Amino acid sequence: MSTASPGLYLSSTGSYPRVGDTHELQLLRRTMAALDRGERTTADVLDAENEMTRRAIADQVKAGLDVITDGQIRWYDPISHFASKLENLRIKGLLRFFDTNFYFRQPVVTGTPVRRGPLVVTEYSFARNALGHLPTPQDKAGKLSIKPVITGPYTLAKCSLSESSGNGSGESAAALEARALAYSQALAAEIAALAQTGAELIQVDEPAAIKYPEDWDIFERALAPLAAARDKIIGAGRRLELALYFYFRDCAPLHEKILELPVDIIGLDFTYNPQLADRIAAEGSPKPLGLGLVDARNTRLEDPEVLAWQLERLLPKIKDERAFLGPSAGLEYLPRDRAFAKLALLSKVREAIKGAKGAAS
Amino acid sequence: MSREKLEQLGLDLPLFPTTSVGSFPKPDYLVRARADFNKQKITQAQLQELERQATAFWIETQEKLGIDVLVDGEQYRGDMVAYFAERMPGFTEGGLVRSYGNRYYHKPIITAEVQWPGPVTVDWWKFAQGLTKKPVKGMLTGAYTIMDWSFNEHYSDRRATALALAQVIRKEVDVLIAAGCKIIQIDEPALSVRPEELPIAIEAMEATTAGLDAYFITHACYGAFEYIYPGMLDLAVDNFDLEMSNSDLHMLELFRSHPFTKDISFGVVDVHTHVLEDQGAVRRRVEQALSILPKDQIWVDPDCGLKTRTVDEAIDKLRLCVAAAKAFRN
Repeated sequence: MSTASPGLYLSSTGSYPRVGDTHELQLLRRTMAALDRGERTTADVLDAENEMTRRAIADQVKAGLDVITDGQIRWYDPISHFASKLENLRIKGLLRFFDTNFYFRQPVVTGTPVRRGPLVVTEYSFARNALGHLPTPQDKAGKLSIKPVITGPYTLAKCSLSESSGNGSGESAAALEARALAYSQALAAEIAALAQTGAELIQVDEPAAIKYPEDWDIFERALAPLAAARDKIIGAGRRLELALYFYFRDCAPLHEKILELPVDIIGLDFTYNPQLADRIAAEGSPKPLGLGLVDARNTRLEDPEVLAWQLERLLPKIKDERAFLGPSAGLEYLPRDRAFAKLALLSKVREAIKGAKGAAS
Repeated sequence: MSREKLEQLGLDLPLFPTTSVGSFPKPDYLVRARADFNKQKITQAQLQELERQATAFWIETQEKLGIDVLVDGEQYRGDMVAYFAERMPGFTEGGLVRSYGNRYYHKPIITAEVQWPGPVTVDWWKFAQGLTKKPVKGMLTGAYTIMDWSFNEHYSDRRATALALAQVIRKEVDVLIAAGCKIIQIDEPALSVRPEELPIAIEAMEATTAGLDAYFITHACYGAFEYIYPGMLDLAVDNFDLEMSNSDLHMLELFRSHPFTKDISFGVVDVHTHVLEDQGAVRRRVEQALSILPKDQIWVDPDCGLKTRTVDEAIDKLRLCVAAAKAFRN
């Protein structure tokens, strides 16, 4: 962490590419293909996932990040990774994931989704352990942390179908809300389990909430059980912050409503509209922010000096000058070498700020 | 209006013309040959000979089935964007990016001004057209979709990228027309991905086709068309080739609220299922189309490219399309 900006953290926003172009970085791809051919077992795939998770964590440490994820290496996609572990759901065909070229498996809710076991707790525990086995950089002792990520209840609900509502067209708001609230109960239990395992910061992704603003009330009602779960954990004397992240769309039209939501940190995608940074710089933020200033959707590398300038005007306006600089979304939409370059860029931005502050003093 | 255009172009098509969206499955020998070529076990010439053999098979198959407007089946292509990007100066092959599950592809990166390398598809079109007296469609990918499915490190923004690509695709359209191609399909499956960018897609298609003498079709599928309809009708094409069956003809409701003003290639069979539809079900889809659309606007085809089906499944699905069209002609 920089002494010049003590509240600035370099943070992952979630996913990291599961494969690279070299033979060793295609371990998981090869193993899964071999499983399909009946030449490997699921235990082999688990080993490969573990290895690629360790590598994803090592890349983040090497890039200089403070807040690290497991790279979501084990996720088939952000929707079915959760839905497939809940009861009363089945998984249907592939659908495009927002405006990406990535496809997710659509869940069909056949009853009330019920959590019968951990969703990402085991993965979080593995990642913490993996991080602990890496050599800690000299200036990072005690400062690195693993951040579990969950997909929010509204996004899960919006990307699912109810068996009774056919292809989803003409579905009632009540059916959508019922689904969202059921997911929310399952996720609230997951948040409690994650906190019990040691998580102090949990990222909740809700990209659908800004794509479908007409459902804002449903989104807010589905968020409430998560906030209540956090409050209960804090009431029991534990530390826990919820970071709610929005991406894949312009956040500016809704940013005032977003900042009022009952979470501790708000993560925003700044790449769709330059006016969002202008507004935050002018009006400030009553909450710490996740600053998605680095474009996770394009390979072009940003100029660190330009990002440093953005940060210098934003940080003083953010509550406690506390912010998490990171990519605008998960990085698995980029080739692995470019994804690493985007993470390495974050440290250059921090260095640029340090340099500027050093020169000023 | 489009019927008149077809006649002006010298194309005498029956009611409910049948066609295909573009791709057909590659026969096993070609799949093996492509893998061998990637491992440098066979030469480009050896691979191309097998691609020509497979193309000839599909032309003959379509003729036997009685399809009216043929496609070459894209036996020489892999990905619909990468095929063009690999041949156009200005693109660099990107690293692997996940598509879904354990499937990955090399997403192209635009690193310099994109340029037309000379005819890309014309030789294949000439080869296919030389095998039949029926019209064969020229098959291109649209500028907006190439832009959306590529990384951009060169142009200032997405609109500038799409318009630059439109100039390149227009040159390919030009040479297809010069070679004698009268029906050209310019696929835009990314059309509905960012509804707010529909004006860019429209501007790019206008830049691609304006003033050129051909019957233009665009194919789009698996999108949220409710967000871009009826605005999408401003796309400078004569015919929209749309996936209808996979979405339970959901779009027909949109057509009720605002008339569909172009010709439509109406997807009457779902390409994403091994299940072969019942002939009655396919006919009912045409009936439902007729309940809203004038008969001289309707073409009949599968929802999308058939390359994910087996050869036999693809042929069976095409046969269903032809049977349904013929039933209504009579």
